Amino acid sequence: MPPKPRKPPPRKGSANRNLLIAAGAAAAVVVVLVGASLLLRGGDSGDDSATGGVTGIEEASALLGGIPQDRAELGSQKAKVTMIQFEDLQCPICRRYQAEGFPSVVDEYVRPGKVKLRFVGMAFIGPDSEKALLYTLAAGEQGKLWQFQDALYANQGHENSGWVTDTLLEQIAKGLGLDWAKLKKDADSAVTLQQANSMAAEANQRQIEGTPTFYVQVGNDQPYKVQPGSFDPSAFRSILDDALAS
Amino acid sequence: MSDRALRIGVAVVALAGVALAGYLTYVHYQPEALICTAGGGCETVQDSSYAELFGVPVALLGLLSYVAVLVLVAWDSELARTLAAAVALTAVGFVVYLVTLQAFVIDAWCIWCLVNDLVLVPLLAVLTVWRVRLASD
Repeated sequence: MPPKPRKPPPRKGSANRNLLIAAGAAAAVVVVLVGASLLLRGGDSGDDSATGGVTGIEEASALLGGIPQDRAELGSQKAKVTMIQFEDLQCPICRRYQAEGFPSVVDEYVRPGKVKLRFVGMAFIGPDSEKALLYTLAAGEQGKLWQFQDALYANQGHENSGWVTDTLLEQIAKGLGLDWAKLKKDADSAVTLQQANSMAAEANQRQIEGTPTFYVQVGNDQPYKVQPGSFDPSAFRSILDDALAS
Repeated sequence: MSDRALRIGVAVVALAGVALAGYLTYVHYQPEALICTAGGGCETVQDSSYAELFGVPVALLGLLSYVAVLVLVAWDSELARTLAAAVALTAVGFVVYLVTLQAFVIDAWCIWCLVNDLVLVPLLAVLTVWRVRLASD
């Protein structure tokens, strides 16, 4: 009579042991990942405004000083090409463009008079967008819309967190040498509101679904939408060189 | 539920995770693909300083984790099952942290991240743990 095969040992304990090992390893890795995430993170986008420190004033003045401005337009009126920028001042992607692409566009195309920029402000993200837009447009009455816009991006806080405070606006205004009392008055004026409404209408007419969105206009031709492959300066070079060559 | 059904379930969830984490990795490297839209918080979350770890996008870590689970589910041994459960449980712990960040630190919600954090990762953990336990029955 053949020997009766031995019954395999129960594996319940094995499964429990495996689960304990898996859970223990997972817990250890999570502790390392979370610890590393907290220790290694860089500056957060809203930190500057949260601490009350205003930055970007000198940078905005250096980048844009001496370039002609006519309300929402930056650059020579004789420039052959206009790049239209649809933006929401609360949009973090717009801030990224402002930091990565905008400076080289200004230095290489706007300052030499080849291209002018037109700011079209939108306020679809929330109440902070609207307040930021009205004050930025009001800064245009004193010829510094673009410096104000650039400095606001440098101090951008989290969306709809109430970061566009009177204190921040006043610090930026005074840092840029603007008349704060006039700026406040202009931001509340019917003229500024009308300007904001016109921009909203233009964005609506072009069915702008998000920001930043860019259009290019050659002379008086119809503006056409462009999509840079990245915010790298080279992406804007190819767009603007094509427009200038056409 | 049979091991075969669980195995297929793990593979399906991991494939969905590859698609989602792949998309989030793509937009991390292509910011112009992610424009700011009304009410959207994805750009804020993706643009936050927590979006990378050791210089690697968190979304890419997620993508690699899902790929690892797919490899382990194809390998299919006791060790592979245990490792898959370990990866999934690690993901659960980390997404608890990520959801907490979105709620209390970043103050913005990324809907695609939440689909991953609240649906795919917990589902993957349940299925992979279930497979380990099923091996004992």
